[in-house]
Amino acid sequence: MAGIVEVHDVVKEYPLGSLTVQALRGVSLTLEQGEFAAIAGTSGSGKTTLLNLIGCVDVPTRGTVRIDGQSTASLNDAKLTELRLRKLGFIFQTFNLIAVLDVFQNVEFPLLLQGGLSKAERSARVREMVEKVGLTRQLRQRPSELSGGQRQRVAIARALVTRPAIVLADEPTANLDSATGTAIIELMKQINADQGTTFIFSTHDPKVTDRADRVIRLQDGLIVDDGRGVKAGAA
Amino acid sequence: MGGISFGLLLRIALRSLVGHRIKGLIVGAILAFGTFLVVLGTTLLDNVERAMEESITGSLTGHLQLVSTEADDELAFFGPAVASDQDLASIADYARVKEAVLAIDNVQAVIPMGRQVAQGVVGNELDQRLEELRAAVREEDGEKIADLSARVQRMVRLLLVEKENTREIVANPEELDEGIAHLRRASSDEFWAAFPADPIGSLEFLDTKVAPLSSTDPGIFLPYVATDLHAYAEHFPHFEIADGEMVPRGRKGFLFNKTYFEETAKNKVARTLDTVKEAIELDGKTIAGDPLLQEKIATGTKYIRHVTEQLGPKDAAHVEAKLRELLPGTEGGLQELLVAFLQVDDATFAERYRFFYDVIAPRIRLYRINVGDVVTIRALSQDGYMRAVNLKVYGTFRLKGLERSALASIYNLMDLMSFRDLYGLMTPEKRREIDALRAEVGVADLDRGDVEDALFGGGAEVDTELASGAVDVDAALAAAGAELAKATDTFDPADLERGMTLHAAVVLKDPARLAETMAAIEQASREQELGVRPFTWQQVAGIVGQFVLVMRVVLYVAIGILFAVALVIINNSMVMATMDRVGEIGTMRAIGARRRFVLALFLLETVVLALLAGAVGSGLAVGLVALLGKTGIPAAGNDALIFLFGGPALYPQVVWANLLVGLLAITSISLVSTFYPARIAARIAPVVAMQSRE
Repeated sequence: MAGIVEVHDVVKEYPLGSLTVQALRGVSLTLEQGEFAAIAGTSGSGKTTLLNLIGCVDVPTRGTVRIDGQSTASLNDAKLTELRLRKLGFIFQTFNLIAVLDVFQNVEFPLLLQGGLSKAERSARVREMVEKVGLTRQLRQRPSELSGGQRQRVAIARALVTRPAIVLADEPTANLDSATGTAIIELMKQINADQGTTFIFSTHDPKVTDRADRVIRLQDGLIVDDGRGVKAGAA
Repeated sequence: MGGISFGLLLRIALRSLVGHRIKGLIVGAILAFGTFLVVLGTTLLDNVERAMEESITGSLTGHLQLVSTEADDELAFFGPAVASDQDLASIADYARVKEAVLAIDNVQAVIPMGRQVAQGVVGNELDQRLEELRAAVREEDGEKIADLSARVQRMVRLLLVEKENTREIVANPEELDEGIAHLRRASSDEFWAAFPADPIGSLEFLDTKVAPLSSTDPGIFLPYVATDLHAYAEHFPHFEIADGEMVPRGRKGFLFNKTYFEETAKNKVARTLDTVKEAIELDGKTIAGDPLLQEKIATGTKYIRHVTEQLGPKDAAHVEAKLRELLPGTEGGLQELLVAFLQVDDATFAERYRFFYDVIAPRIRLYRINVGDVVTIRALSQDGYMRAVNLKVYGTFRLKGLERSALASIYNLMDLMSFRDLYGLMTPEKRREIDALRAEVGVADLDRGDVEDALFGGGAEVDTELASGAVDVDAALAAAGAELAKATDTFDPADLERGMTLHAAVVLKDPARLAETMAAIEQASREQELGVRPFTWQQVAGIVGQFVLVMRVVLYVAIGILFAVALVIINNSMVMATMDRVGEIGTMRAIGARRRFVLALFLLETVVLALLAGAVGSGLAVGLVALLGKTGIPAAGNDALIFLFGGPALYPQVVWANLLVGLLAITSISLVSTFYPARIAARIAPVVAMQSRE
């Protein structure tokens, strides 16, 4: 059975001056719908590169990345954008909210980009998500008025409001204190359980990997461990 | 845009603007200033153009001028071309042209015109006094003879002093000796004691030996427009009789422009005081604060002779005594007292002005020419001869609102019939008469050049003075042929229509339809072979007509420079803003915003900013124009400004179309300057969102 994400023998090279750096050196993996997977590894291990490829913000030098059966290599910018808009949700390490929009507007933004919903429908969807992340009272606040944890909750709501198949999170707890980080992971885990959304997040935080159903370990651009269904307590 | 609503774009754009206030304020201020300048500048120029159009068309040119298609030069009412001889050919059959042009529906009136620079000849002061004395002698008016004798003796004395002074400094003093001897004799008491015994002989001596020594009057430079004066008065709303009366219908005559008359015919000392008074009272200037006024006053003292030589001995003594009362402690005689008297300042001016008009003015001739006088007007005719007509000055006229503009006041008015005489163009009748005369005297085959050659010898240079006097063949022939007409200053008003005119003014019912009417005239001229071409008032106004155009070019260049600067600044600040917003844009791209969205967002931000700033800038400009419309922009006595403003102040009106132009211009310039940064922004890769920045 084909996975929601299929990475096959992917090589990603970056030019660095006259040299070529291989960030990924032949990576293959498949993720099924509903998985809650962590990509772990030290800095420079290639985990962000892998996440970028799965997130369709970058394309592989060689090999294929398929999202819901569609290969990204053959898509132009507009098609890749469309794919990101329809299938993917993003949670960033630095939250990346749009500073000039309030909580409601930030969460509404991807829905507006998608189009097709009435104002009432959009409003209902936004309120539902904001309630789910517990920020109903902050609906009209700007990102600058929120704490780090609150901002990341807004980001989660924004990532999920379009009901994507996959949510990608790049070190979602890196800029949060330990307790808040744990709470964020719990929230993601709960949504994963409730809605069956596939979560893939990069991290080097053991507390996060502990909560993952599957931990893919990268080292020097290669998968060194793919602990499917195993708690990777060894880290 | 894949369903992206304009509302979202607008909302993000607005929020971005608020979020990046400082940038917005700086760029906004530049844009607002640009719009302000565009709206204000174009509005003021439009207003100046309207005012200028009104003053030029309403006082001189009409809306269009018809000129012969044969003309070699362009008709120009103002500027350097005025003084030179323009070859405009002429409209030979004016009646037919008038009829055809009047048939065009927007044409209200067609008025014939001619234009020339002539010379007004007035005898010098001594000549005039001697003539008065001769009259007194004829009338045997003893009292008048005594008074005028004293005046003439005094004038001769002053002339003697002048010549003796001249003798000191010239290279060949002995050349003056004979004249000085005559002056000594004519200024002596013995001469005047003997005068009653032989007035005729004495006058003969004075006329032939003394009067020629007095500096000859240079005459008055008289630019004039000749026209059907009554039609002109009816269709040129600025015209108004100031003194005297309108030249009666069917009469030849001359009207001075009041401003021109004051400037050229009035006693120079009086005129100097008048100008100072105008500057103080009308323009709020002070002598202390205005170097030009100080200079004017200093120059005024040079004209003291114009006062002293006109005062008879009794009057001179009276004035001297009064001046001594006014200026105690001043050394010297009348001359020195007058010099001291004219050293006016802000404190003494009002009193001295009054003194001049109370004490001095009644005792001198205030004007060289007076309304009612007959002046000899001489001009070089087209056929190369100096021609002259004697015309009665019926009055002076003013161009309402333009009285203080010397530029608007350079033309005096003359009847068209006298112009035809002066301009010297052959009318068919004249030609026939002359041909007949020539046939009679046996010079049938000689043309004018041959006549000259025959008279003066081949190639001899013609002395125009001489030609005008003794041997002007054409004039003599014409005089012989049209003796009756010349003997009188009346004519049949219908003759204005018959015969030639140099050019003709066309007054329109609706000036806004000028271009259309012009085309209609061109067509009529072609179809009916009228041989005329229409020119707009702006074209014929010469250098003045170009003024607004020049100002417009200057304004557009200034705006262009400002826009170029704005372009660079906006471009720079938008590029910098883009760099600041890389993360934000990357995030938008990552979560599904397409490049076009980013491009549109940036452009919209600029448009919104431009419209807001434009509204502020044009609002300020409109406010200022409205304010100036109430208070008026004073021309401050500046000659050219009075003319351009169509009066002593310009009251500008808001031109709403300029608002649109300003907003459009500023929006376009902003869009152009944002296009590059917007493209940079649109190229930001979504992957940058994933790069940690903290």
